[in-house]
Amino acid sequence: MFPAMPLACFLFRCVVFAACVAAPILSIADDDPFAAWRKEYETAIYPILDQACSECHRGADAEGFDLEQFGASEKLQKNATVWEEVAKRVRLNEMPPEGSPQLNDEQKALVHRWFDSRPDDNECERLANEETQAWYRGVVMSRRLTRTEYLNAIRDLVGMPVDESLQVPSDGSGGEGFDTAGDALFTSALHIEQYLAVSNQVITDALNAGGQSSLAGGLLTNITSEADAREAINQFARRAWRRPVDGSEVDRLMTLMNASQQSGMPIREATAYAFKAILVSPNFLFVVETESEAGGVQPLTPHQMATRLALFLWSSIPDETLMLAADANELATDEQIISQMHRMLADDRSRALGENFGLQWLGLSQFEGESKPDTTLFPDFDERLAEDMREEAVRTVWNVFRDDRPMMELIDADSIHANSTLASYYGLDASEQGLTQTDDSETWKRIPLSDRRRGGVITLAAVLTRSSYGHRTSPVLRGRWVLEEVLGGRVPPPPPGVPALEEAEADHAATLREQLEIHRKDPQCAACHNRMDPIGFGLENFDAIGRWRTEQDGQSIDSSGKLPSGETFSGPEELKQLLLRRSGEFKKHFVKKLYGFALGRSLNKFDKCVVDESLEALDANDQRATVILETIVTSYPFRNRYFKPANP
Amino acid sequence: MQKPIPRRRFLRGSGVLLGLPWMASMAETMAAAKPDASGSQNGDPQPPLRTAFLYFPNGVWEKDWVPESEGTDYELSPSLEPLADLKDDFLVLSGLDKKHSHGGDGHYAKTANYLTGMPVAKTTGKDISSGGISIDQLIAAKVGDQTPLPSLELGIDPVISGIDSNVGYTRLYGSHISWQSPTRPIAKAINPRVVYERLFGKRMKTSTPEAKSYQNLLDYVLEDARLVRGKLSRDDQFKMDEYLDSVREVEKRIEFATRDQSHRERYEAERDRIVSGHALEIPETGTPGDFRQHIDLMLDMMVLAFQTDSTRVASFMFANDVSGRSFSFLDGVHGGHHELSHHENKEEKISQYQLINRWHTEQFARMLRKMKAVKEGESTLLDNSMIMFGSSFSDGNRHDPDNLPLLLAGRGGGTIQPGRHIAAKGQVPVCNLYLSMAKRYGLDLERFGDSEAELTELADA
Repeated sequence: MFPAMPLACFLFRCVVFAACVAAPILSIADDDPFAAWRKEYETAIYPILDQACSECHRGADAEGFDLEQFGASEKLQKNATVWEEVAKRVRLNEMPPEGSPQLNDEQKALVHRWFDSRPDDNECERLANEETQAWYRGVVMSRRLTRTEYLNAIRDLVGMPVDESLQVPSDGSGGEGFDTAGDALFTSALHIEQYLAVSNQVITDALNAGGQSSLAGGLLTNITSEADAREAINQFARRAWRRPVDGSEVDRLMTLMNASQQSGMPIREATAYAFKAILVSPNFLFVVETESEAGGVQPLTPHQMATRLALFLWSSIPDETLMLAADANELATDEQIISQMHRMLADDRSRALGENFGLQWLGLSQFEGESKPDTTLFPDFDERLAEDMREEAVRTVWNVFRDDRPMMELIDADSIHANSTLASYYGLDASEQGLTQTDDSETWKRIPLSDRRRGGVITLAAVLTRSSYGHRTSPVLRGRWVLEEVLGGRVPPPPPGVPALEEAEADHAATLREQLEIHRKDPQCAACHNRMDPIGFGLENFDAIGRWRTEQDGQSIDSSGKLPSGETFSGPEELKQLLLRRSGEFKKHFVKKLYGFALGRSLNKFDKCVVDESLEALDANDQRATVILETIVTSYPFRNRYFKPANP
Repeated sequence: MQKPIPRRRFLRGSGVLLGLPWMASMAETMAAAKPDASGSQNGDPQPPLRTAFLYFPNGVWEKDWVPESEGTDYELSPSLEPLADLKDDFLVLSGLDKKHSHGGDGHYAKTANYLTGMPVAKTTGKDISSGGISIDQLIAAKVGDQTPLPSLELGIDPVISGIDSNVGYTRLYGSHISWQSPTRPIAKAINPRVVYERLFGKRMKTSTPEAKSYQNLLDYVLEDARLVRGKLSRDDQFKMDEYLDSVREVEKRIEFATRDQSHRERYEAERDRIVSGHALEIPETGTPGDFRQHIDLMLDMMVLAFQTDSTRVASFMFANDVSGRSFSFLDGVHGGHHELSHHENKEEKISQYQLINRWHTEQFARMLRKMKAVKEGESTLLDNSMIMFGSSFSDGNRHDPDNLPLLLAGRGGGTIQPGRHIAAKGQVPVCNLYLSMAKRYGLDLERFGDSEAELTELADA
């Protein structure tokens, strides 16, 4: 299909190689462990890849891996992640795809050996030198609070429910796929209008409720003098802004308070007015990480560190205990940070790890709005059920952290979290667990399973529903979901110009399975569908709203699958076993997601060090999920940041 | 390159007409018994020009969309039939092209620049850009200070969360067509109660003390932002600028709402009279459970906003791009929008896809009828408008950004000759259309986006 590479072009490549490689070898061969590895590529590996891969992987249409580009001498070394992916795909027999010329055993051995002999970069040791100070350059660090964080912070400060109709605009995602990425958080006039309306409503409500019901309510009682007002304003600003407040800052708020008083407001109301301003101030709405005079890479201040911890673990702002720890500079050592972290995990606010991080990771953050099963076909599906499904997903992720479970329980577990509705939906006998039909749906329990059909994120009703069409299941969507969200793989969209299924042929194909088999005859389709479809077929025992089924339209369900690697399985239990054997891919993907969520930016090559460290820590600690959190919150990038020099 | 738009300055102590909604000056003239008129510009004020850009996702089935013949005697295509009674009120525009969307992925690189026409930056988050300011915002920057709200950005769905790491774009690109600057999408309002409050609520009324008290508060937070800004790094400063600009915009709204008290009150009374004549059934939480009611409400409020001269520029997204919303409520449709738009040339899918296209046209027709029923002197609200309706690529299976499916309704205040099918020949940039629309607002532009010339055919056959 593609013409062979013209001779001139090939010669040019040789010249380039000679220039880049030969010259340095003469002088620094001993210092450069990569030299031999690169040489091996040129002499032995490139010819193999050129012959087997270049039909698709060359030039502009190269689907993410352009042999031309990534084979260039210096890229070979720098683009470790790309080559890692290539190695993985070749090892799993996913590449070259079925229907294309394959590598013979000798070639495979050569290629694998070369992949394995890649020298170590040792980049972790060079983390904080001058050269790497550019990590944060061009990345927004002083970001706005996300909608979730904003609402949680309001809850923690004011304790008043926000009127549902005062909707604050939703956020998009950036970085590793989370709304915490500052680059992707924008502010419009609509935001300001809604912030005004919300602060007006909740502070007025707190003022009227009075008493010790909440921080704001408590501070707003018993204000009779200017001194009372000043103290209340100081206290509230400190908590809302997550740092000690300057006298001059309090002065400005007092001026605002006084102005209101002069226009006839009683002192309590006037103080409440200043509270409203505190909640619209950028000091509240933005994670302000002001520049350090010293410049360069500097540790965060204790209060900045407290805020990062609270945003990461609670998707909210620090509580009084965390503030006191920051005041006393007790977030300085690993032990201090880890001890705070465990205290915070035990608090119910850690639910955010499931609700905010978890749902974004699983692609379920808009589950109720986006999932619209065809109600004529699935009359059982309603908003209440959708809410329960979502709650199960939240608890599945949250509890792995809170109860410090082995993280592989996210793939395969011997119990699930359910209320009575969900338990009966799954056909489980919940009465043994003390859940009865009459229980209100607020009671959730961990329910042991007698088999492993359920358990873990893949078989969550929410996930199975979300990765289905409204009227039927889709093995392609489900397979793709598992590959991407669980194994961290990439599945490019179908290349343009792929011919649609031959009408005649497709008409003969009775079942979806047969139709997809026809599809996979085309090597262009096979490359991805051979990876996705079998996984999806393994989940065919679940219908489009996640219920167990053994037959469809009178035919019994065939849930067997065979992956390009040759591995075969049947049904969800065996599929999960297979995924457990690929736990390395899952763990790495999950750690990257969590870490990207924590930092609110895309990961770069230096972040690999923290990812690797987390994986090592997991292995050394029986895979307990909280060791990932421990590694992240004590990591260098979490505790430090790059500041521009004071006077460049 | 687009020149940066100079920040609009506060309008202080303006004359009667300047800075007052048209409707108020209209009311002013009608109460003509008053002899002085304080230097008011003579005679009947002209109704202002209103513009809206409506977007629906996932393209169209072209064969049932593009009419076969051209000119005035063209025959409506099946997807456009719901507009039969309005045939003389709109133009079918075919053959317009968005060349900067020929690359990139199938959706995000097509939708974020629906109204900019410029290249969408391929990114999963860093350096997000739609390539340019969107045409609605450019117009709003010119005329926005003459109405209580400079522009209105409406939608139905929250921003799509997540990134698509396979194609290398953040999904938020599929959720925004209005861009205040190339690097700043505008949040769209999706809750009808929020929209109602913004437009007609008491929050911004002259008679409530809240407006004044907000002013002090906003002055305070502006000062806060300035203090914080000075301590931030460059990239963070840009984010603080967004905050500063947004607070200033709200300040301007309050400023607008609190000056010229007597005229303003007359205007508000007239506006409230019009609004109360419409039964807007907005539920307690703001958002109806049925998205059809949701869409009705949003479009009704857009018409009311135009009618009451609360704003002159609006955009609306029927759904975010790649929307998989189920259209099973339509007879003969089983499935989601995006899924069916990938019809694979199968007859059973195409027919359902076409029904969904047609449904969107019906909603457009419904809105136009409402606008047509509003009299403005000798003309109608629709006559004094330019309402564009379309999608960001043509065929849903191929995602091709040429031959964009676009309709333009209204007479543009007498500058547009509707009732025709204009089929552009060759690769005519859609930005030619946008340039022509901007010119009708008196914008002194040589070009917009990748425009090459004005679309002169709008005016005559």
